[in-house]
Amino acid sequence: MFGYYLKRIFSAIVTLFIIATLTFFMMRAIPGGPFTREKALPDQIIAQLNAKYNLDDPVIVQYLNYMKGIATFNFGPSFRELGLTVNDLIRQGLPGSMKVGIVAVLMILVFGIPMGIISALKQNKPIDYTVMVLATIGVTVPSFVVATLYIYLISSRVSWIPITGLSNPIAFIGPAIALSGYSLSYVARLTRSSMLEVLRQDYIRTARANGLSETRVIGKHALKNALIPVVTYVGPMIAAILTGSFVVERIFAINGIGRYFVESVSNRDYTVIIGMTVFYAGLYIFMVLLVDIAYSFIDPRIKLGKRTGD
Amino acid sequence: MAKILEVKNLRTTFFTHLGEVQAVRGISFDLEEGDILGIVGESGSGKSVTSLSIMGLVDEPGRIVEGEVLFEGLDLTKLDQKEMSNYRGNEISMIFQDPMTSINPAFTVGNQLREVIMTHTGMNKEQAHQRALELLTMVGIPEPETRIKNHPYQFSGGMRQRALISMAIACNPKLLIADEPTTALDVTIQAQILELMRDLKTKINTSIILITHDLGVISEICNKVIVMYGGMIMEKADIISLFDNPQHPYTRGLMLSVPRNVTGKKARLIPIEGSPPDLMAPPSGCPFSPRCQHAMEICLKKAAPLFKISDTQEASCWLHHPDAPEVKGFVKVAGEK
Amino acid sequence: MRNPEFEYVDSSRKESKEQIRKSLTYWKDAWRRLKKNRLAMVGMFGVILIILFGVVGPWFMPYSYSDQNNNFANIPPRLEIYSIGNNEYVYLSKQYNLILVSSKGELITKLTRTNMDVLNKIYVYTYDGEDIVVDYSYRARDNDDGIDITVSYKGLTSEYPAKTVSNKTYRLGSDNLGRDLLTRVMYGARISLTVAFVATIVNLVIGVTYGAISGLEGGLVDDIMMRIVDVINSIPLVLYVILLMVIINNRGLWTIIITLGTVYWVGMARLVRGQVLGLKEQEYVLAARTIGVPKAKIITRHLIPNAMGPIIVSMTMMIPSAVFTESFLSFIGLGISAPQASWGTLANDALPGLSTYPYQLFIPAFAIALTMLSFNFLGDGLRSALDPRLRKG
Repeated sequence: MFGYYLKRIFSAIVTLFIIATLTFFMMRAIPGGPFTREKALPDQIIAQLNAKYNLDDPVIVQYLNYMKGIATFNFGPSFRELGLTVNDLIRQGLPGSMKVGIVAVLMILVFGIPMGIISALKQNKPIDYTVMVLATIGVTVPSFVVATLYIYLISSRVSWIPITGLSNPIAFIGPAIALSGYSLSYVARLTRSSMLEVLRQDYIRTARANGLSETRVIGKHALKNALIPVVTYVGPMIAAILTGSFVVERIFAINGIGRYFVESVSNRDYTVIIGMTVFYAGLYIFMVLLVDIAYSFIDPRIKLGKRTGD
Repeated sequence: MAKILEVKNLRTTFFTHLGEVQAVRGISFDLEEGDILGIVGESGSGKSVTSLSIMGLVDEPGRIVEGEVLFEGLDLTKLDQKEMSNYRGNEISMIFQDPMTSINPAFTVGNQLREVIMTHTGMNKEQAHQRALELLTMVGIPEPETRIKNHPYQFSGGMRQRALISMAIACNPKLLIADEPTTALDVTIQAQILELMRDLKTKINTSIILITHDLGVISEICNKVIVMYGGMIMEKADIISLFDNPQHPYTRGLMLSVPRNVTGKKARLIPIEGSPPDLMAPPSGCPFSPRCQHAMEICLKKAAPLFKISDTQEASCWLHHPDAPEVKGFVKVAGEK
Repeated sequence: MRNPEFEYVDSSRKESKEQIRKSLTYWKDAWRRLKKNRLAMVGMFGVILIILFGVVGPWFMPYSYSDQNNNFANIPPRLEIYSIGNNEYVYLSKQYNLILVSSKGELITKLTRTNMDVLNKIYVYTYDGEDIVVDYSYRARDNDDGIDITVSYKGLTSEYPAKTVSNKTYRLGSDNLGRDLLTRVMYGARISLTVAFVATIVNLVIGVTYGAISGLEGGLVDDIMMRIVDVINSIPLVLYVILLMVIINNRGLWTIIITLGTVYWVGMARLVRGQVLGLKEQEYVLAARTIGVPKAKIITRHLIPNAMGPIIVSMTMMIPSAVFTESFLSFIGLGISAPQASWGTLANDALPGLSTYPYQLFIPAFAIALTMLSFNFLGDGLRSALDPRLRKG
């Protein structure tokens, strides 16, 4: 049982190591160095810059330094923004991303799961159709459309709702809706179909045959089984959402790591891109790991190392 | 003896989008206290739907469209789900075919067992736990103190069926319905489970309806039998009459198609030609007529009533009619029942 | 006298009583059930419509995606036009360009502005040697008459729009460079759908091959291959798409296709492996192996055809998600470069002028949503049509 967790943690570290290595060499593979500009810099300046950032060392030395940096959570300087390090950007961006992310995740869990359950219990009734139409729209309209629509509707009509930044609680509404829209709808659909599947199972009939009340049959016996696939989805989803959404942060001008990442991409700020990627991946893997451990409490079979559905 | 269950003209239909499936078409039978009644038939004969109808567990889009199910004189079909759940698992219990899927994988065996006990008896958790241990011992699960904490995946098929039986008998039900309880199990385990059921019948004094497609199982444990085909009762009899002197061509066919008397003389297996009726458009007459070697004009038009052969045997076949041609072994009965 | 009711019937009549149901092949049966699913048929109709829209649509358009007319920039699909007499009308654009419009809604020409009195909010344009005076000072005042602007020409003053007509020159309006939006959305469909289809096929080929080999080989090979999949699976894929786009640094169609095609095959590989694991234990596969059929042939002849149902469903779901990802990439500026445009680029281009020209966002957004919806409906329908558990009905 303890071995399972150790194994998971170990494989998470290995994965992260592979990602970091891969990213490093991918970035080295880019033709031209990080200082290639539209207007070519004089060779001598490039040489100076290379020396300053130790880019004239052999690749293997650079790689080892870089890995050492990652192991100590030091992602190095930005090549574009003088005096700023990747760590600074993460420190500035993470709180904003997390705040919006937490609100979005809460919305998904609080609305998505009950919507799916109600829909399943009222299958083929008007409320089911309503929920499913909404959920289908939710998974088909991209978040950037939701975000821009929201801004368009709010900015022209309701002046007291701020549309950018996170200055007050109301300002969270837009980003949270845009960020949660897809996953909320997906969770509702997933919960519904999983619930319908479970309600057909023999053990539900057994529970009824044993005279348990409908509340218990649904609320206990069906729910726990129905939530297993939902948790499987929600795990990585929480990770993805908490680490922010590039688009939503950009549209709502939120100072989050997603926004910095997109900016670094358009600036071709290579150290920031690598650093952010590794940080993102690390956070993601860490969240998935947490969820996996939580998962082993829900599904008793997992401790044997057997994953359902695998 | 007191009648514990009377089923009167029960008719259960599934209203699917492709049309109505008449799974049970007007069957009647009684169950007396202490009986072990076997209901035998091939798949699609309506035997499982009959048992679910008694339990009030027919799922959408199925519905009991006609008839009564009197349990100790009370019509269960008139009860709503909430009233019905006071009977289920308490006075009437059921065990199902596949123990692998019939037990909830997400909770420990003890949790599920305690839940049933607490629902019907008002015991507290500690009392229910003690009772659960007793029950597990009673159904022959070794080391119940350890096993009670296990999840179902840690149980073998036979053990799961035992656990399910322990839930079913938790409140000493007056009626226990077992729907193919041994079909999914290994042969050796089958015998153990049957033995257990026979044992329990005397211990907790319950009446049993055993549903199966296996005449061997019937002969081993039942004292009365109903033979179903195409949603109707073909023959009902006590066990001896049925096996000694089957009075329906279908019952005969069933017996000839079952291997028996392994050591004795060589008996050929004779299959029943054809396939079961399509219940979406059942034959207008006797459901067995298309496969029956004795089929007569009337058989295609009208299902036969139950002819009373003796005090303990009735059969639904026109061959018992005085006008019917003579067939060896079939008794003519003066009047319809 | 015997009762005729009790005569034996001969066997031929009995047999006719037996129900003979038409036997259908797997695909015919699936198609029959798909046809019955109304939502799936709506989805299929939508898919066909979108494909036709992208493939055939541009042939009927008088413009190409790059034709621009700066005089007619940012003209919406619906125009409020003011009469200037003589069955001639003008439209005042949001940028205060005055455009001569026919009564049917054809844009004729942009009129020259001769004088701007910003203080009194009066602009003067010239047409046919005479002044057209546009007074938009009402916009700043409260007035109960509902007057927005007044247009005076040759002594005639219009206080209210004569009518609202549809833009006949640009059916869905024009963008900020005066390009026809409908044409651009059609070309956008071409690009978005090409990306989606090709990327899906690349994914399919990689995923199916990988999954089939892993599942069939089993043992150590399977273990290693699945570990690799696990590693890839624990990376947020959008990150790698973005990284690849940065590295390849060439914003062409093929870059996106390669990027999407090489990243999203993991799900398909898992699915195929699962299918193969189940199928390879089937007797006919064992039979083929015992008579020495080569592995490649077992994969192509026995395994893949039998795993086709789930593969097709998963493909139908991959296409919209590729459209989604492509539009997302274009939206953050990593997509197709100008003047070509995918739906995502179009949506991104519409952002700066969103509050004034919302239609420029709505139209590509609607196209994306419609595509997603159609493929989703179709995919859901296929899923239940191909589900063997539901076959009986």
